Amino acid sequence: MSDHAFPSNKESWESAVDRTLKRFPERKASFTTSSDLEIDRLYHPEENEAYEEKLGYPGEYPYTRGIQPTMYRSRLWTMRQYAGFGSASETNKRFRYLLEEGQTGLSVAFDLPTQIGYDSDDIMAEGEVGKVGVAIDSLHDMEQLLDEIPLDKVSTSMTINAPASVLLCMYLAVGEKQGVPLEELTGTIQNDILKEYIARGTYIYPPKPSMRLITNIFEYCQQYVPKFNTISISGYHIREAGSTAVQEVAFTLANGMAYVDAALEAGLDIDTFAPRLAFFFNAHNHFFEEVAKFRAARRIWARIMKEHYQAKSEKSWKLRFHTQTGGSTLTAQQPDNNVVRVTMQALAAVLGGTQSLHTNSRDEALSLPTEESARIALRTQQIIANESGVADTADPLGGSFYVESLTDRIEEEVNKYLDQIHEIGGAVKAVEEGFMQREIQRTAYETQKKIENEEEIIVGLNQYKLDEEVNPDLLKVDEALEASQIKSLETTRKERDQDAVDRALKALREQTKDSSVNLIPYILQAVKVYATVGEICHVLRDEFGEYTGM
Amino acid sequence: MGKIRVLIAKPGLDGHDRGALVIAQALRDHGMEVIYTGLRQSPVQIAQAAIQEDVDVIGLSSLSGAHKTLFPKVIKSLKERNASDIPVVGGGVIPAEDIPYLLEEGVQKIFTSGSSTEALAAYIKQLVHPKEEKLKPPEKIAHIGIAVRGIDQVLSFYTDTLGLELESVETVESEGVKTAFLKIGESRIELLEPLDSDSPIQHFLNKKGEGIHHIALEEDKLDKRLQRIISEGIPLINEEPKQGAHDSQIAFIHPKAANGVLFELCQHPEGSEQ
Repeated sequence: MSDHAFPSNKESWESAVDRTLKRFPERKASFTTSSDLEIDRLYHPEENEAYEEKLGYPGEYPYTRGIQPTMYRSRLWTMRQYAGFGSASETNKRFRYLLEEGQTGLSVAFDLPTQIGYDSDDIMAEGEVGKVGVAIDSLHDMEQLLDEIPLDKVSTSMTINAPASVLLCMYLAVGEKQGVPLEELTGTIQNDILKEYIARGTYIYPPKPSMRLITNIFEYCQQYVPKFNTISISGYHIREAGSTAVQEVAFTLANGMAYVDAALEAGLDIDTFAPRLAFFFNAHNHFFEEVAKFRAARRIWARIMKEHYQAKSEKSWKLRFHTQTGGSTLTAQQPDNNVVRVTMQALAAVLGGTQSLHTNSRDEALSLPTEESARIALRTQQIIANESGVADTADPLGGSFYVESLTDRIEEEVNKYLDQIHEIGGAVKAVEEGFMQREIQRTAYETQKKIENEEEIIVGLNQYKLDEEVNPDLLKVDEALEASQIKSLETTRKERDQDAVDRALKALREQTKDSSVNLIPYILQAVKVYATVGEICHVLRDEFGEYTGM
Repeated sequence: MGKIRVLIAKPGLDGHDRGALVIAQALRDHGMEVIYTGLRQSPVQIAQAAIQEDVDVIGLSSLSGAHKTLFPKVIKSLKERNASDIPVVGGGVIPAEDIPYLLEEGVQKIFTSGSSTEALAAYIKQLVHPKEEKLKPPEKIAHIGIAVRGIDQVLSFYTDTLGLELESVETVESEGVKTAFLKIGESRIELLEPLDSDSPIQHFLNKKGEGIHHIALEEDKLDKRLQRIISEGIPLINEEPKQGAHDSQIAFIHPKAANGVLFELCQHPEGSEQ
């Protein structure tokens, strides 16, 4: 990357476009409307300083208009549907189906026992095995999950946080068995523990040791798995818990800064780990506010990285993000209406310049999606991408008086929150004090009251109701799965080399005591000899303690 | 009466507590004392907390699909601790088809996605203090009123042909009516004769001729019933009870509320035969 002067100018964008086109040619020789009008790569005003400082060109600092010079004219966003339920082999079937249907990346949902580090036969796991995602106890399950999926071609996103290190190691071990070199594996682990304390609830250990595991992963991957996104700093769940768009961005970026601080404190170099930080946002109902939110988030993060942290690499300045449409906006009433909501939310994400997108299925207020609902959700993205024309020019809403004003206002409000969190002593401290939790809860309650007073209209819920609701077909997770998963776990325990497991767990336990040691190689060793998620997490629970909430 | 005490609990591993927190706040705003357990509570822990905190009702929230396992376990744990009298309600992402099973297992009611917090608060109040809020439906027809031009001319049909017992004849000047009550089982037939041309009964006779004029229902709490009817926006002729025959309190519902049928609600003093 060139080290050109700032502010950016049109020439530097144009030369970036040339470089990009060599690697990623545009999807079509020319883009036109139905009336055969030529569509330009970018629409922008006459060059002026204010424009360059606040908006700039796509792929140029401060990235308000997107992080790639040609945006979706070269490559569409990655269509990545989150899936997982029941057993590893069932989920494997759904993955292969989605890949055949044109999905371009995998996204794994794990069940709650896996996410909280319990084996399927743990008393705490009762009733939860395979319910909200796939149950993974040992490497054996991971091998089944990824069976016949070429890990050198498919990138995989795993929604895993507290035990992220364990599941990452399992993924690496499967890659090794497939003969794919570590440096070629691509994907993302969520690995964002702070938002678990704030909004999502699948924490295990207290903040401090949790932050250590996260920086251990940063360090290990930087060295051995350089293409893997080591964290997906998530506003999605903060929004789902009831926050506003401003709070979503503010708390997410504050958490991002806490991870950067932790990595710097562990002695990592900012320009080696920062390019692997990814973000994850929600696409909610207020169409223009959502578009503006994504644009503002990019600009704020770029300024934080460049000005506050003094990162030198352009890659460190770019906020790359995945988006999921807002699950809590879906209604159980008249579920087909949700297809329309999802379409508009997805469109906002695309106009906001997302790198990958999950569209929710219409039946998710009722249960996990059926295959048919999951297909409609994927088709929604494909229709936006191929039929609407919104992907044919970069940042089509850039320059709208309304959108630019909203972008500025969101930036201003986010910065107020960032100052406030800084005064408290940073995101970790603010989480421990419950600051973000209280702010979100206040907004969530206000929203509920507005819906009940009909100040906010939700179609089919408080207005335009139907007397009789039709019950759609829902996906049912086989209740017998828990028993068969436990049986398979028992077989794995019987067949593995127990001495090797004991040795590996003992080594891991010893290494936890020295906080300067990177634990990932020890976890990887334990995973390879088929130690279970529960066994590994229990060792860490013993040593680190458990977080018990406010 | 003290404040209603509610335990809001998250059984299992589910971390989605937006709904639980919003409900806790809403019930507090309705004057209840709410204890929130926090995440990841086992059924036994929930039962213990409910007993220890001496709550009137438990609200369970689950969005992870584990409700069919966990909700019945909470009820079982309460039973094992002789605390089955604490009612349990549930909510979250719960498919309609699972609700009958949960009710059969002893959950009082399931509030699914989109339920209002107002409805939940009203339900809990009613569940905890049923006598206060719940009205018994009228238990019998007190009498059927029949408008006649002259009691003397028709009385023999009732007393001789049907052989009913004439209980009393009374003049109610304020209503411009003379009444005769004939006992039939636990009900009465009331014959109504106008005293003068301004009498409402005279207006009825002019308009519709002789025949059934109204049906009177025996109420046990007339005041409360009238309040309820008013709150539901149903039109009343008398919004306050007034004096009727035999020391009773009466009020009429407007006939447009009931397809043209005039209903009288009456409450007799306790101990009186009618």
